[in-house]
Amino acid sequence: MGVKGKESTIVDPKIAASTPVSSRIGAVLVVGGGVGGVQAALDLAESGFKVYIVDSTSSIGGVMAQLDKTFPTNDCSMCILSPKLVECGRHLNIEILTCSEIEGITGKAGDFKVTVKQRPKYIDVEKCTGCSECAKYCPVDAIDVFNEGLSERAAVYVKYPQAVPLAYMIDRDVCIGCGLCESMCLADAIHYDDQEGERELNVGAIILAPGLEEFDASIKSEYGYGKFRNVITSIEFERILSASGPFRGRVQRPSDGEIPRRIAFIQCVGSRDTTCGNSYCSSVCCMYATKEAVIAKEHQKDVEPTIFYIDMRSYGKDFDKYIERAKEEYGVRFIRCRVSSVSEDPETKNLRIRYENEEGKIVEEEFDLVVLSVGFESSEGIRELAYRLDIELDEYGFCKTPIFHPLETSKPGIFVCGAFSSPKDIPETVMQASGAAACAEGLLSPSRGTLIKSKEYPGERTIRGQPPRIGVFVCHCGINIGGVVDVPNVVEYARTLPHVVYSEANLYTCSSDTQKLIKEKIEEYDLNRVIVASCTPRTHEPLFQETIRESGLNRYLFEMANIRDQCSWVHMHEPEAATEKARDLVRMAVAKASKLEPLERLSLSVIPRGLVVGGGLAGMTSALALAEQGFQVYLVEKEKELGGFLRHIHYLLDGSETKKHLEDLIEKVQSNKMIEIFLEAKIEEISGYVGNFKTAIAIGEDREKREVEHGVVLVATGGEEYHPDQHLYGKDPRVLTQLELEERLSSKKFSGEPQNVVMIQCIGSRDDTHPYCSRMCCSEAVKNALKLKEVNPKSEVFILYRDIRTYGIAEKYYLKAREEGVTFIRYNDTNEPRVVEQTSDEGGKVLAITVFDPTLGEEILIEADFVVLSAGVVPPKANESLAKMLKVPLNEDGFFLEAHVKLRPVDFSTEGVFVCGMAHAPKSIEESISQARAAASRASTILARDAIEAEGVTADVNDRRCNGCGLCVLVCAYNAIEIDEEKKVAVVNTALCKGCGACTATCRPAAIDLRGFTNEQLVSVINSF
Amino acid sequence: MTSVEIKSESKKIEDMDKEWEPKVLAFLCNWCSYAGADLAGIGRIQYPPNIRVIRVPCSGRVNPFFLIKSLQCGIDGILVSGCHPGECHYVSGNLVARRRFAVLKSLMEYIGIEPGRLNFSWVSAAEGEKFSRVVSEVVKEVKALGPVKRLVKGE
Amino acid sequence: MAPTEEFEPRILGFLCNWCSYAGADLAGVSRFQYPTNVRIIRVMCSGRVDPTLVFEGFINGMDGVMVLGCHPGDCHYLTGNYYAERRMKSVKSILEYIGVEPDRLLLDWVSAAEGERYAAMVKGFTEKIRGLGPLDKEKPVEELMQKLIAAREAFAQHRTRWLVGKEKEMVEEGNVFGDKVSQEEFDKVMIGSLRKEYVTNRILLSVKDDALSAREIANRLGVPSKDVVRSLINLERDGSVAVAEVSDSSPKYRRI
Repeated sequence: MGVKGKESTIVDPKIAASTPVSSRIGAVLVVGGGVGGVQAALDLAESGFKVYIVDSTSSIGGVMAQLDKTFPTNDCSMCILSPKLVECGRHLNIEILTCSEIEGITGKAGDFKVTVKQRPKYIDVEKCTGCSECAKYCPVDAIDVFNEGLSERAAVYVKYPQAVPLAYMIDRDVCIGCGLCESMCLADAIHYDDQEGERELNVGAIILAPGLEEFDASIKSEYGYGKFRNVITSIEFERILSASGPFRGRVQRPSDGEIPRRIAFIQCVGSRDTTCGNSYCSSVCCMYATKEAVIAKEHQKDVEPTIFYIDMRSYGKDFDKYIERAKEEYGVRFIRCRVSSVSEDPETKNLRIRYENEEGKIVEEEFDLVVLSVGFESSEGIRELAYRLDIELDEYGFCKTPIFHPLETSKPGIFVCGAFSSPKDIPETVMQASGAAACAEGLLSPSRGTLIKSKEYPGERTIRGQPPRIGVFVCHCGINIGGVVDVPNVVEYARTLPHVVYSEANLYTCSSDTQKLIKEKIEEYDLNRVIVASCTPRTHEPLFQETIRESGLNRYLFEMANIRDQCSWVHMHEPEAATEKARDLVRMAVAKASKLEPLERLSLSVIPRGLVVGGGLAGMTSALALAEQGFQVYLVEKEKELGGFLRHIHYLLDGSETKKHLEDLIEKVQSNKMIEIFLEAKIEEISGYVGNFKTAIAIGEDREKREVEHGVVLVATGGEEYHPDQHLYGKDPRVLTQLELEERLSSKKFSGEPQNVVMIQCIGSRDDTHPYCSRMCCSEAVKNALKLKEVNPKSEVFILYRDIRTYGIAEKYYLKAREEGVTFIRYNDTNEPRVVEQTSDEGGKVLAITVFDPTLGEEILIEADFVVLSAGVVPPKANESLAKMLKVPLNEDGFFLEAHVKLRPVDFSTEGVFVCGMAHAPKSIEESISQARAAASRASTILARDAIEAEGVTADVNDRRCNGCGLCVLVCAYNAIEIDEEKKVAVVNTALCKGCGACTATCRPAAIDLRGFTNEQLVSVINSF
Repeated sequence: MTSVEIKSESKKIEDMDKEWEPKVLAFLCNWCSYAGADLAGIGRIQYPPNIRVIRVPCSGRVNPFFLIKSLQCGIDGILVSGCHPGECHYVSGNLVARRRFAVLKSLMEYIGIEPGRLNFSWVSAAEGEKFSRVVSEVVKEVKALGPVKRLVKGE
Repeated sequence: MAPTEEFEPRILGFLCNWCSYAGADLAGVSRFQYPTNVRIIRVMCSGRVDPTLVFEGFINGMDGVMVLGCHPGDCHYLTGNYYAERRMKSVKSILEYIGVEPDRLLLDWVSAAEGERYAAMVKGFTEKIRGLGPLDKEKPVEELMQKLIAAREAFAQHRTRWLVGKEKEMVEEGNVFGDKVSQEEFDKVMIGSLRKEYVTNRILLSVKDDALSAREIANRLGVPSKDVVRSLINLERDGSVAVAEVSDSSPKYRRI
């Protein structure tokens, strides 16, 4: 490889075998437009690459668009996804190819030629306005795929009302060609002569994000899916719960529209089931079933949900708390069992479930509705895609990836993210998507910026001197707002307010069709201020600001009224008072909007270097990922050597060793010229802001000072093993932690003699002081149990557990451990195992463990040579001081709290700061690597730019009023204000000003004001009462 | 207090007096308390609807003048809420606010405004539950004080 | 209601101006005698007979309706009678679906020269209807009326009219994609569409005054409740019905 200068860092031999640096194509193909594909596309486009998204359906959004709410925050799925879809839809450097499939591929990493076949839509995407007239009249009934067959759509259809792109298409399979739609279409968008098209795309890398299919529940015939109308899949139930679903969010059952009171959820349908070939765990079903139970209960108070499960796998961040709330606040019933069969009462269409309870008794119970929690599986289409691209799949049909390269397929230059590589939830998918983007960016960094266009906005309209003309758009948010607040009433009220010349209600104000509508109304009514009354400005303000900017209005001529998060959601039982409040909030917004003025954004330069805090697996991976992209990195590690937690992990579930991988990684980091490593280093101070941070570091024993400047910060401080104080740990040398056992096993200190080993799970996890699950201990225990069996098959291993959480592919090894004779005994909070030392029959001192065995129904006593405690992961103490310096939050457990649990899993709300690895929450090696790459990708969206736009909200001094007293200088925490001694006035450095307004509130002669939150504006709001 | 208790609490407030409901104006900083209020929404933690929120970048932005102005406009109680000490997005804005607020409060007491009408709290972005609790408490207290009389224009 | 033996059927006849009407005149000129039960409406062509008019006849108390046109190939307007044939076939299928004997509708051809054939046809049809008895025998009149009105509305919908109008072209020449649609496939869509419209209209009529649950509607209509649920979903989406109340565990729908 021709290496020189910045590019000299790419050392991956796989990539080295690819196209020469100079001729790599600065474009990436993303296959699949679900949340993973969309995230990868946005990251890539933001950091200077042209992106093509190919989706086999008619619009992007994937499965997430079908979901009602997301766990564990119960965020409305469409609300958080829609802004990303809209952003994708209008991004200048993202081209979306719908109804398209990959036909073939030639070339190699850095320069692929991909043939894409586009099925005809018969409707011109450019001309179609999405008005729906055609669908209203179409005489052909076809199944509504998006609503999972619960309602009907016409042969001309759009996937869902907020679809991006919002254009109808004709389903040729059911259309009989009567021509009615053409006669109804005013936009002249229908072209029956549309032909199959072919495109050849030239890209440097490919990211696969095709997702997975749901398991076909009719295969498990004992549950009666397809036979009994009231047996439905979880995704169908998701549609039933959705405000945009067939029943508008009312919980009703398909057979007769009655409200089902007794709802049963059957877990593991098509997962953890060798009879259908899917022996893996689908990872998300326990959580989504609980979520659906909770939401059903929220929608319909008297619903009584019951979840039939095997192990409760709520292993993720804040998941266990969610389960507890479901039990205690919502009264969701959890029954641990396997359901043997479902039968239907032909008269009432109710269902009878037979199951064996924990006491071993066969119980029969009647339900009104049965929801099958279907797992994920590979599909024919996905296998076909893998075949065409010539990539390897694993035994289950998932994309095969090495543990230490979880985002790479078997073919260089083709990367993977999301459920295609193994079942996973939304945040994991988003992390992998960003991570895969980082892989592509690393490969293509020399060609960054070569194929992109930059956005051109229309000139800004001058509004100075014009009286305010305000438009108010009130969002129903499905039923999230409209179900509580009387939206039409609010719309009417808005019309009566001063300066309001237009007001209307929208089903979803954030959808892309509404953006178009807002622009039309701005033009039609000559609006010069826009108000959206919907959700929180913290997530949606940028979207609407972009919309009004596109119609020539300054971004800051926009105001939001938060009538959902802070009104309809929190006053659900007081619709009248909530409506009154919503009216007030709109009036306050109007009062402020009438005083809004256009603001300018300052352009800030970016220092193209990163600071990575923590030299463990995550830290080193993200440092390398940034270096690969040509950015210089400072890597700060508190210990004397790199490696972190991974130093204590010696082998993996599949038995392979980690040592070489770790050594390789350390070697790569150490030899990389772009990475400067500080060992035994402590961060003393961080100042500055996105693009321009300054950090003081004390290095080595003699605390040598060093100051570095950088544009971003990546937090990768890792986790530590919990230090147990129970079960004789520390008192008896035969009581070990899993890491200590692993150390002995790997250093062959364990004798070949058969041993009795008892492992106890959840030590320092899921208890009062550590209420979270440490996620990896179940796999750790299984791994070490298998190793013990390997050393001597005669060893007896007992694992005392609460729930076995070997999610995903790890389930395979749980099965293997059972096969090899490892004994699993479940205990619960009320009868925890007890460990004592006692004298054995032979007179020696042995460890005796008493535990209640639910299968036998009695207490048993196990004598053990060793007791191994599966100690959880705890956050390092130093997180607290770092969080303070960075001004980012920690969660209640002491791990870093990301900006958004679902869609911004590596970002903080503070720009330019990112998190990855166990600093975020306990996680596996693959997950840490994916997240580390994700953090690098997110960081590169900043580092790749020459400059970023600063906020327009900054302080401004009126020279004539200022008397130069200097009070503002005293309160400013950023040293952004100085006194011009000559003129005796305060001067604000806008680049440093963060717009807090402390100076404004202090200034006596009201000379210094905060743009966007001026005294005049705020007083106007107060005066509106 | 759990959200269930808060619910019954706000119910009690309702039953006490059907005729008069206080209006409480809250100044919430964008980074912590406003996000905490959003989190209460995401968690569907219910609280009394008497509150109206003005979003400000930082609690340090709240000019004492705004508070007096609010009371003049017939607002019965005020809540200013910012980040916890040491967590301020703007380093120390919340501390500036706190100091300023203490001074104002004693001044207000001097001119006969009950201290219960002016409230200050720290609510972080992760404290949805705390936010709802604070609102419930403030509303309860202001309700007990009755409508604001002093300062209101025209009275 | 008069007993059957005294029952005198009321019959409406749509006669095309050029053949059948002239045939009827010829019967008169020739003094061919036939029963008095038929009342005639002259139309220019049998193709003019809108299916809704047939239902209008039944709704207004007719026990039978006959539509007479020129013999195939003899139409004064070339193809009007072919359209009539296709239309009346659909009407018959819906009549059967709603429980009205399809034989109460007669479509036949009478030329200007066939006075005798006309007289015989009237006689035969009158006897047939006499045999069938009154339209509203053994049925509550109100329910029958709702059925007929719903059926008429089904034929009044734009999409069904479009299909009715396009049938010949699509089956004989080709659809917008240039493919010929088989009669079987077309009938499936046509009848499916009509039935769906019919069920929809019956639901709308049922919930005009009362709020009803899907189950109650299904019992009234004699249609499976899962089909009613599907129609309700569409009606709610279009804004035609809404859930007015929830009693016990039954959401009750009412027309808006």
